[in-house]
Amino acid sequence: MKGLPEFSEHRLGNGLRILVGGGHSLPTISFQVHFAAGSRYERPGITGITHLFEHMMFKGTREVGAEEFSRIIQANGGSLNAFTTTDNTSYYENLPADRLGLAARLEADRLQNLLLTQENLETEREVVRSERKLRSVNSPFGLLIEQLVALAYEQHPYRWPVIGWDSDLRSLTLEDCQEYHRTHYAPNNAVVVIVGDVLPDEAVRVVESHFGPIPSQPSPRLTITPEKPQRGEKRAVFKKVSQVAAFFAAFHVPGITHPDLIPLQILCVILSVGRSSRFFERFEKPGKAVEAQAEVGYPPFFSMDPGLLQLSAVASPSISVETLEKEIWEETEKLREQTLPEEEVRKAKKQARSYFLQGLQTLFSKGLLAGLYQVRAGDFRLIYPLLDRYDSVTPDEVLRVARQYLRPENRTVVTLQPVSQKEHEDLGDVE
Amino acid sequence: MKTGSPSRKFALPPISSSLLGNGLKLYAVPLPDLPLVAIHLIVPCGAESDPVGQAGLADLSAEMLTLGTRKRSSFRLAAEMDGMGAIFSAYAGWNITSLHISGLSEDLERHLELLREIYAEPAHAPEEFEQLKQRRIGQLIQQKDESQIIADERFQQILFEGTPYDHPAYGTLESLPKITIEHVEEFYRKSFLAPGSFLVLVGDLSPDRCLPSVEGIFPDLGRKSPEVREFSPPLSRGIRTRIIDRPELTQSQIRLGHIGIPLAHPGYVPFEVMNYILGGGGFSSRLMQKIRSELGYTYGIYSSLEPRKFPGPFTISTFTPTDITFSCVREIASVLQSFLEQGATAQEREEAVNFFTGSYPRRFETLSQIAQRIIQVELHGLGIEYLSAYPDRINGVSLEEISRSARERIHPQDLLAVIVGRAEAFRQPFESLGPVEVLP
Repeated sequence: MKGLPEFSEHRLGNGLRILVGGGHSLPTISFQVHFAAGSRYERPGITGITHLFEHMMFKGTREVGAEEFSRIIQANGGSLNAFTTTDNTSYYENLPADRLGLAARLEADRLQNLLLTQENLETEREVVRSERKLRSVNSPFGLLIEQLVALAYEQHPYRWPVIGWDSDLRSLTLEDCQEYHRTHYAPNNAVVVIVGDVLPDEAVRVVESHFGPIPSQPSPRLTITPEKPQRGEKRAVFKKVSQVAAFFAAFHVPGITHPDLIPLQILCVILSVGRSSRFFERFEKPGKAVEAQAEVGYPPFFSMDPGLLQLSAVASPSISVETLEKEIWEETEKLREQTLPEEEVRKAKKQARSYFLQGLQTLFSKGLLAGLYQVRAGDFRLIYPLLDRYDSVTPDEVLRVARQYLRPENRTVVTLQPVSQKEHEDLGDVE
Repeated sequence: MKTGSPSRKFALPPISSSLLGNGLKLYAVPLPDLPLVAIHLIVPCGAESDPVGQAGLADLSAEMLTLGTRKRSSFRLAAEMDGMGAIFSAYAGWNITSLHISGLSEDLERHLELLREIYAEPAHAPEEFEQLKQRRIGQLIQQKDESQIIADERFQQILFEGTPYDHPAYGTLESLPKITIEHVEEFYRKSFLAPGSFLVLVGDLSPDRCLPSVEGIFPDLGRKSPEVREFSPPLSRGIRTRIIDRPELTQSQIRLGHIGIPLAHPGYVPFEVMNYILGGGGFSSRLMQKIRSELGYTYGIYSSLEPRKFPGPFTISTFTPTDITFSCVREIASVLQSFLEQGATAQEREEAVNFFTGSYPRRFETLSQIAQRIIQVELHGLGIEYLSAYPDRINGVSLEEISRSARERIHPQDLLAVIVGRAEAFRQPFESLGPVEVLP
């Protein structure tokens, strides 16, 4: 496929998987390490440790001082970051191609020689709590979405937020971090992806020279409780100071390897992507909703285990949130009543195809696609049929997935109810 | 650990330019890696031209172009764009109005035809305009819950009071109801293909094949641009604090800064290098090292100078829990002071220069990034050769220039502090710095 490199796969003796893809238009590479470590591997009491640990990975080794990692990469013309999700923790450096050895050396060093100190933990604990305030507590809908997810899942670890509960963040210990490092940060639990101006043999040689000596670890013992099918609508109200009323809903859908996710993505495009979408035309354009969205993710950001299709609408001042919700369900119900016009499905398929290609413009995004499919779906090769899969979706298939997943019994709804400052305070702490 | 600039050579993508018969300049950049194209039509006038009391006029005028033509209703136009999988937008920045279409290269000719129709034959339908205004008012009401947006907007409004940058480009709850479709039509007539307008095409295309299809589809350029108020900010106003009171917040949004220098200023490149060391370089910067890594006061802190035609804002942005708001600002001021007194080190200079030169190729990775580079140099009269000369200019910035840039262009005695948060928790200590006002 034009634009998507052929990745070659290599395995080191310690279990580390290496994927190398070409891309030679610029003298640059993206170097990525993806660990099978996400909030799904946590347990109550230590929620947020995966993400907090991601921060600790920048706090230095015997060779490299705290935060030196970033300084060195940038001083070599690189940019870097890391992110934690429910299913993976990923570290990356985008940098000049002739700095491959530097990235490999630094990543191997912190995998093996990370210095975990009480002092570093205390600083990062406060940094993460500040991040939690930014993303959840003080964002307009952050706490609402936390409640939605916590209500939709009763058993599966997806029920707590990746950033963790504040009380857990406050009580995590250095021993918890050390145990987490031992358990999850092993070469046999990671995938290294290199994309760009590099030859596969050279890339493997360089990675092997740095990662090869790191011993493998016993695979972590997983106790992930699967979610049972939902057997009736669940509802809640969340009250806070807000200028607007809104509702957020979630429907259980399958995980990344399931063939229904692509028609579900097409369904979401039909509902809310572009100015000819159904939600824009019926709700946003006439000013009933400030925003109305349906989303189930897109490759590679489908969840590993069964996930959620989220549907949300922010009411404009001219309409009550109850009326808006009723009208939204009328609109989604139409998708379940009869087959959609061929033309509308064709349009959504072309949109999805075009956005997929637009998303492949950087070496970083190409690497992410392969790396996350390897970690979340178990096989990076699943990226190659994606465009054909978009093409193969039929109106009947969209009808079938709408009927199967957009059932009221499969639905969880949380409504945001604005309250006064006084009532907001009387309801207790929002941390 | 050793650092250094990359040894492999980077060549700019092939950029060709030509002048069309109507005076419109065309830039074309063929890049066949992906079957995609990006089109940007740039008119060199934007929100700086909003008349007093009509904040949002330029941006509303831009968006109205997307809401139907004389041949196509807004829905038909949207359906046509969505049917091609195209991303289609129009907005007014401070100095430009931009029409942008990104899509699959197989549809390039259709994109160009529609672009011409959108620009030359807008419907300006009154009912679309009323709906657009209502949508924006709804969004502005919702944005009152977004403390980051409030902080950014209020900081710039207060900082640029009395200048063409003194209002949100998107409009305000006060200005939007007063703007009529007649205002939009008048603005459109005045700005329609203003002198200096240009077109940028990037992607899987052949410049030779594009030229004939572009030639002739756009009408002649206009002769006059809309007027812009004079840019004359007061020179010094001392340290001032404005607190936007949001008692429900548990964390304060902080913006500190003053008016900087324009992009075309000869001191801009040294400023970029200096700012990397101060607060633009992420974990390599002094502000991040002190405020986040040492003190754990915040998740992130950055300083930036926004590139504009007139002097843009120099801003330090961060957020911190309510109870340490004042300590955080005091520590920032202390980092500024010591940087001004001591200047940068030779190692800091070398690392900053290596960052800019080594990361430069990645500023040409996506179609839109390439288009943005071209738009910036064309708009500010820097010449396309600026793009190839940039790494050498960065390399040429000396340690002395960095220290001079800090001394001459950072003004700790003239800082505006805008804080969004729980005023009663931290108002008092700020009074020791200078006048404080608490605003709703």
